[in-house]
Amino acid sequence: MNQEKKTFIGYLAAWLNWPRFIFSLTLIFFLTGILFPFYWMVSSSFKSRAEIGRRQPVYIPETLRLDAYKELFSPTHESYQDFGQNILNTFKVAIPTTFIAVVLSILGAYAIARLRFKGKEALLNSILMIYLFPGVLLIIPLFAMLAQAGDKLGFNVQDNLGVLIFTYLAQTLPVALYMLTNYFRTIPDEIEQAGLIDGCSRFEIIWRITLPLAIPALVSVSIYTFMIAWNEFLYALVFLNDHAMFTMPIKINAIFNDPTPRPHVVMAASTIMTIPIIMLFLAMERFLTEGLTAGGVKG
Amino acid sequence: MTTFVSSLRQRYKSRQAQETRLAWMLISPTALIVFGIVIFPAFFSVWVSFHNVGLHNLNDVFHAPFVGWENYQKVFNDFAFKFQGMQSWGAAVTSIVYSFAATILTLVVGLVAALLLNRPFRGRGLTRAIFLFPYVAPVVSVVFVWRWLLDPRPSGVLNDILMRLNIIDLPMAFLSERGLALLIVILFESWRYFPFAMLMILARLQAIDNTLYEAAEVDGANTIEKFWYITIPELRYILGAIFLLRLMWTFNKFDDIFLLTGGGFGTKVLPVLTYEFSFRLFDFGRGAATAMILLTILVVFITIYISLVMRNVEE
Repeated sequence: MNQEKKTFIGYLAAWLNWPRFIFSLTLIFFLTGILFPFYWMVSSSFKSRAEIGRRQPVYIPETLRLDAYKELFSPTHESYQDFGQNILNTFKVAIPTTFIAVVLSILGAYAIARLRFKGKEALLNSILMIYLFPGVLLIIPLFAMLAQAGDKLGFNVQDNLGVLIFTYLAQTLPVALYMLTNYFRTIPDEIEQAGLIDGCSRFEIIWRITLPLAIPALVSVSIYTFMIAWNEFLYALVFLNDHAMFTMPIKINAIFNDPTPRPHVVMAASTIMTIPIIMLFLAMERFLTEGLTAGGVKG
Repeated sequence: MTTFVSSLRQRYKSRQAQETRLAWMLISPTALIVFGIVIFPAFFSVWVSFHNVGLHNLNDVFHAPFVGWENYQKVFNDFAFKFQGMQSWGAAVTSIVYSFAATILTLVVGLVAALLLNRPFRGRGLTRAIFLFPYVAPVVSVVFVWRWLLDPRPSGVLNDILMRLNIIDLPMAFLSERGLALLIVILFESWRYFPFAMLMILARLQAIDNTLYEAAEVDGANTIEKFWYITIPELRYILGAIFLLRLMWTFNKFDDIFLLTGGGFGTKVLPVLTYEFSFRLFDFGRGAATAMILLTILVVFITIYISLVMRNVEE
C-alpha cells in the first residue's frame, strides 16, 4: 500500500513542472467556479427547512428530502405552488414559438440564400438590426400596440399566452433566419440545379434536397429558439399577471420574492428548469457549439 | 437564330420573374412579422418618446398629446439618471462603466479559458462542454443560486468561506453595498458570458498556423514572447469583434441586474430605468425617451468604434 502511494507521488513529482502546475490550478479554479453553483442548486433543492435555517451553510444535505418538490407539486402541501401548471405553460409557449419561428425562417432563409431578388441585402440587414435593439426598447411600443389591437379585436393582452408567443417571435425569428441563411449558403447550389433540371418544383427541392441536408442546422436552430422561449424573463414579466398563467422563470421569481423566504423551493424549481436544458445541450453539443458563436443565444 | 436567342432570353426573363415572385412569397410572412413586431415598433417608440403616453390613454395611444422634448427633459433631470458626483453616478454613467468593465473582464476570462482549452489533455471535450454551462443555463436560476451564495448573513456560502479563512471578521452584504454591488454584478456578468468569448477565441486559436510558433522557437522565443508577439496579434480582430458584440449586448441587458439587485445600491443601469419608468410608473413616454437615450449612446459608440477599427485595418 505504502509502496504504491510512494510511486504515485513519485510519478506526480516527475510529471509536475511549473507550467503544468499553473495549468492544473487554473483548470481546477475554473471547474470549481462553474460547477459549484450548479452543485449548490441541485443539492439545496433536497435540503429541509431546518437545514436552510442554520447559522452556517450546509454543504451536503443529510438526507435527500423532497420537501421542496412536495411544495411545488403536491396539492396537499400547505403552500402548494402548482408548479406543474407553470411547466405546462412554458411548454405551451416554447413549442409553438419554436415551430412557427423554424418554419417561417426556413422559407425566408431559403429565399435569401438561393433566390435573386431586389432588396435582399437591405432586408437581411434590417432584420439583423434587432441585434442592436434592447428588449426594453421594443417592449414599450409592443405593449402599446397590442393593447390597442386587443381593444379593437377583443382579446386580452395580459395573461394571454398567444400574445406572448407573438412577441417571442420578435426575438427568435431574426436569429433563426440569420443562422439558417448562413447554413443554406454552404450547401452547394449544383445539387439543387440538378433537381431543377430533373423537373422538381422549388418546394419539392426545399423538401427533398435542402432540408435533409440542413438537418444539423435545423436541430440547432430549433433548440436555440426553444431555449430563448424557455428562458425568457422580461416579456413574460410584463405580459403575465396571473400566477396560473406564469411561465417558469417568472414563477421562480415570484417564489423568490415571497415574504417568507424558501430558498430550497426556489432551488428545486430552478433545478427543474435548468437540468433539462443542460441535458439537451450535452446531448446535442455537437450541433450546438457552432451555433453559439453564430449568435444563437443573444445575450 | 435571333428568334431562338430572344425566346431563350424571354424564357430566362420569365424564369427570373418567377424566381422573384417565389422569393417574395417565401419571405413575406417572415418579413411581415419582423416588420410588424420589430421594425415598426422601433420607429413607433421614437414617436412614443415625444408623446404623453400612460396607462390612462393606452387604448387610444395614437391620439396621445404631443409634448416635444418634455419626456427627455424629465429623464435628464431625474436624480436616477444624472451624474451627481462619485456617491451617486446615475444610470447613464453606471451603464457605461458597467458595460465596459464587464465586457473587458469577460474578454480576459474568455481568453484565459480559451488558452486552457487549447492545450490537449484528457477530458478536454467534456471540460469544454462544462465551461459552457453558465452561458446555456437559464439566467433566472443561476442568478438565484448566486444570490444565495452571496447571502449577507453568516449562512451565506461566500461569507462562510471568507470568515473561515479569516479574510473577513463580519459577514458582508455583497449585493447591497454601493460600489461592491456594482463590482459583484460585473463579476457575475463575466462568469456568465465568458463562454461566448471563449468559443470564438478558441476557434481562432486553432486556426493559427503552427509554423509561426515553430519559427519563433527556432529564433529562441519563450512562451511569453510567443504569446505576446504571435497569439495576441493573430487574435486582434476576433477580440475586437467580440468586444463590440458583447458591449452591445451588455449595454442592453436587463434581466441580470434586475434579478441580482433590482437596480438598487448603485447598479441602476439604463435598461432597468427604462423598465421602471414604463412598468412601475406607467409613464411610457418617459420610458421610451430613456430607451432612445440608451440607443443613441450605443449608436454613437459603435460609430466611433467601427471608424477607429476601420482606420486600423487601413494602416
